[in-house]
Amino acid sequence: MSDVSKHRLMLAIACILAAVYLFPLYWMYVTSLKSGSAMFATPPGLFPVDPQWSVYSYVWESRDMGRYMWNSLVIAAGSVALIVLLGTGCSYVLARYRSRWVDVGLFLILMLQVLPASLLITPIFVGFSQLGLLNTPRTAVIIAIAAKSMPFYVVLVRSTFMSVPMELEEAALVDGNSRVGAFFNIVLPLARNGILVSGILIFMQAFGEFVYSKSMIQNIELQPASVGLNSFMGPNTNEWNNILAFASMYVTPILAIFVLLQRRIVSGLTSGALK
Amino acid sequence: MSNQTDLQIALTAVNKHYGAYHALKNIDLRIAKGSFVALVGPSGCGKSTLLRSMAGLESITSGDLFIAGERMNNVPPRKRDLAMVFQSYALYPHMTVEENLTYSLRIRGVKKAEAKKAAEDVAATTGLSGLMGRYPRELSGGQRQRVAMSRAIIRHPKAFLFDEPLSNLDAALRVHMRKEIRALHDRLGATSVYVTHDQIEAMTMADHVVVMRQGIIEQQGAPLDLYDRPVNRFVAGFIGSPAMNFVPAVAGDDGRSLLLDLGDGQRLALDRPIAAGRPLIAGLRPEHLVIDPTGAGPIRLRVAAVESTGSSSYITTASKPEIVLVTNGRSPVAPGDMITIGIAPQHVHVFDAETEARIEMLTG
Repeated sequence: MSDVSKHRLMLAIACILAAVYLFPLYWMYVTSLKSGSAMFATPPGLFPVDPQWSVYSYVWESRDMGRYMWNSLVIAAGSVALIVLLGTGCSYVLARYRSRWVDVGLFLILMLQVLPASLLITPIFVGFSQLGLLNTPRTAVIIAIAAKSMPFYVVLVRSTFMSVPMELEEAALVDGNSRVGAFFNIVLPLARNGILVSGILIFMQAFGEFVYSKSMIQNIELQPASVGLNSFMGPNTNEWNNILAFASMYVTPILAIFVLLQRRIVSGLTSGALK
Repeated sequence: MSNQTDLQIALTAVNKHYGAYHALKNIDLRIAKGSFVALVGPSGCGKSTLLRSMAGLESITSGDLFIAGERMNNVPPRKRDLAMVFQSYALYPHMTVEENLTYSLRIRGVKKAEAKKAAEDVAATTGLSGLMGRYPRELSGGQRQRVAMSRAIIRHPKAFLFDEPLSNLDAALRVHMRKEIRALHDRLGATSVYVTHDQIEAMTMADHVVVMRQGIIEQQGAPLDLYDRPVNRFVAGFIGSPAMNFVPAVAGDDGRSLLLDLGDGQRLALDRPIAAGRPLIAGLRPEHLVIDPTGAGPIRLRVAAVESTGSSSYITTASKPEIVLVTNGRSPVAPGDMITIGIAPQHVHVFDAETEARIEMLTG
């Protein structure tokens, strides 16, 4: 087989796999635009023949989606802020000091990441209720998400810090800066990209978080969109177009961020590996 | 070297431990104001650790470090007022050349206009004037090197510390920068400490060379003193290029000659008496060995290889151990020829085979 046809075959396989992978997303958008009868037609139509755009404004109004989205935003932004504030220093220390205790710490951090949210929620719920944190449920969820996503952030940002040469810091020290000053003046600006990318990834995770929010936020006024979407669905649901319109409005902002920043995210994730 | 008031950096009985590893052992070093000191040795000998201890990037475990008369053992780097040029240059990649140069001034609260003026003055002397707005990634290796130097110069520090600053440059630029750094040192009247593994850099640039091995100072002194009178076999082999030949030997029964162990019992006359009995090592510098055209010299050996650089020829003999000698210009000698080698008695170095220490004069 020649190189050209080999490349074409690989490309074809890649396209098919991408189509399979992205089909549910496509189906979500298409179905949200279908009318009631088109939704249940057999065989189902691959294209919306008569797109019902009004469904979006109807769902936004009737479901009070603005409130859900605001809650999601508050929770995601709060989690990112907390993680960046606490995790950056932690990553720096883990990147710069090597000892047995640092290895132990890193191992524990990685272990935390293995545990699923659905397992952790019970002890967290009990603990938080004893501390009275459940009276401010959004804060409780922010703390829980921060704890859950911190390892991911620390591991990513640590490798970013490790790619900043120690000599730059030493040069700053000799040039007359303190350790703290060198961190803020030299290391942080150089690690900015990695921190930004990790922050965005955490934001997207937290924006879609469900388990903690569902368990800890009873008040519908404070629930994020993920819980709102879930409460939309019942055993006898048949308004799939409305549900998928809700879902579309929910995920489109996240998808947009990802598409816009895709290049930076990929380069940020590999910045440690490449010079 | 000089009296206490002229000392810029002084170390007394300095030790450095990394856990169980003893990196610096009882270092005593006096660096006079205005001198250019080279720390030289093979990798892992502690020369960089010593330099970093002076800068404050490493703490010393015991001993005293004085900079301009003040004890600096536990003073953080920023208060030592030393400037350092790193091997990788360590330019701040997110700052322009000008920002790199003025960084230390800005930290100290120097006014913006003043810092800019200082940067321009330094840049003019180092040939960076047209590059002030560039980022380090947009510069060539040589230009980066100049920025690193300029960043040190701008502060007028108490001393300059160089950590192998030329090892990332190509050979031609290295020879050029060698002269430039030395000229800069002289012009500024600065005190410089220069770490290198290249003995030629050390010999050509420094007033005072410190040879280190495994955390101890083997010998220090003026470059040519080290060349002429190395205190032991290590220093003798380290200083000089190509390296000194070492040949196992014993003292001759007349007490004024060496019997070389080159397979044939060659006898080498000495200008000084030597005690018989102990196993010795004769040190013969390649540039001191001469081919005797009459064939009457003491050492007769077969030639194994001849390498010519045009200006000089390196002849290697087929003996065991092999002997290298350097002759000027082109050599008529070809591999396979028998040659007779001689050396002036005063050029023969003698070391104890066991302690490897230099044997100067021994009677009885």
